[in-house]
Amino acid sequence: MSIEHFLQLYCYVALVVIIMISLYGIVRGASLTKKLIALTIFGDVANALIIYVGYRLGEEVFVPVLPTLEPSPEDIAWFTSVAVDPVPQCLVITAIVINMAVTLFLAFLVIQAYRLYGTTVVKKIARLRG
Amino acid sequence: MKIKDTAVGVMIALLLLTVVAVILLGGTAHTPSTGIRPLAEFYLKHCINVYNTTWWTSSPAAVTSMLWDYRGLDTYYETSVFFLAIISGAALFRIAEVKLKAEEGRGREELGLSIIVKTSTRIIFPLILAVSVSVALHGHLNPGGGFQAGSILAVGPLLLIASFSRRYLEDRLRLSRAKCVALFTVGLVLIVLVAALPLAMGGALMQNQPKYWSPKSPWGSLTKIGPLELSGTIFFLDIAELFAVGFGFTLLFLLLSMPEKEFRRLLGL
Repeated sequence: MSIEHFLQLYCYVALVVIIMISLYGIVRGASLTKKLIALTIFGDVANALIIYVGYRLGEEVFVPVLPTLEPSPEDIAWFTSVAVDPVPQCLVITAIVINMAVTLFLAFLVIQAYRLYGTTVVKKIARLRG
Repeated sequence: MKIKDTAVGVMIALLLLTVVAVILLGGTAHTPSTGIRPLAEFYLKHCINVYNTTWWTSSPAAVTSMLWDYRGLDTYYETSVFFLAIISGAALFRIAEVKLKAEEGRGREELGLSIIVKTSTRIIFPLILAVSVSVALHGHLNPGGGFQAGSILAVGPLLLIASFSRRYLEDRLRLSRAKCVALFTVGLVLIVLVAALPLAMGGALMQNQPKYWSPKSPWGSLTKIGPLELSGTIFFLDIAELFAVGFGFTLLFLLLSMPEKEFRRLLGL
């Protein structure tokens, strides 16, 4: 196993392990706030994983932005051969903003739950009656 | 309790093993390698290909060109999810401005962090605005665009709320919640206009540059206005997104920073 392959696998495994830890936090977190924090980590790591899938190994790697406005055919060929995959980046741009909006909305819900019940601990909320 | 804990642990460990196995067996189809997928190659090849203008978007930034020309519906629906999240957040915190002001009382503008923080915020705030506008205006040629610019823009009011107060933003700068909603809606209406106008003018929905299936773009191929390099309607979409995202987040930050005590009293708790 070459060093590149090892590093590549290491990145994947690290990202997956963080996803698992955040999943555990979402399932077993005592308070709604902690669940929300775990959910944020989950979303961010998922985005990082998507970006990572689109990465490209090689001697020369370039951002998916062509540096000239009047490209020659050679420019386009060079660009296609070195630029990273733009599709995951495009999906993640919108996902980050949506993620933040949804997180803020959930934060509102948590605040409202705290105002109404006086606690954010799930088990205590479940025990409340009426 | 013990059994439940163990069950959750075992299930997550199983999930972990499965995901790692899937990756090891090549389930992600194309783990980082020296090549890219054919779809990505198509996008990279055609984003500013002057020799094949039936597929191009006339934008050198492949990500931005994909955001509108190749995957416009994706952006459109994500914007609607964003809209729903903001509106439902605002609906939860709906409370009359007059009532809240009466509850909060006067003299609150004097509060805030120390003079050092306030002065540095005064210096940084215009810079944040300038950067966000620049990112939005250059988004069709450089890395950047409406979503990113809007997120940067929202940092400015957040900084002001933290170092001065919410009242400072609402009273002194006159950026009330109603105004935020209005500007947010202006951005959304602009997005809808940019999306729907081509259809009304005889092109395809969300069309920017002429495409193979709809060779007649209503805008022509709008690549230049005077000395300004344009990428058709991507430029206008970026400005619209700047308004929608920036003021949507500002609205949510204003709502989040509402004083807890007064709000509870108004709710009757």
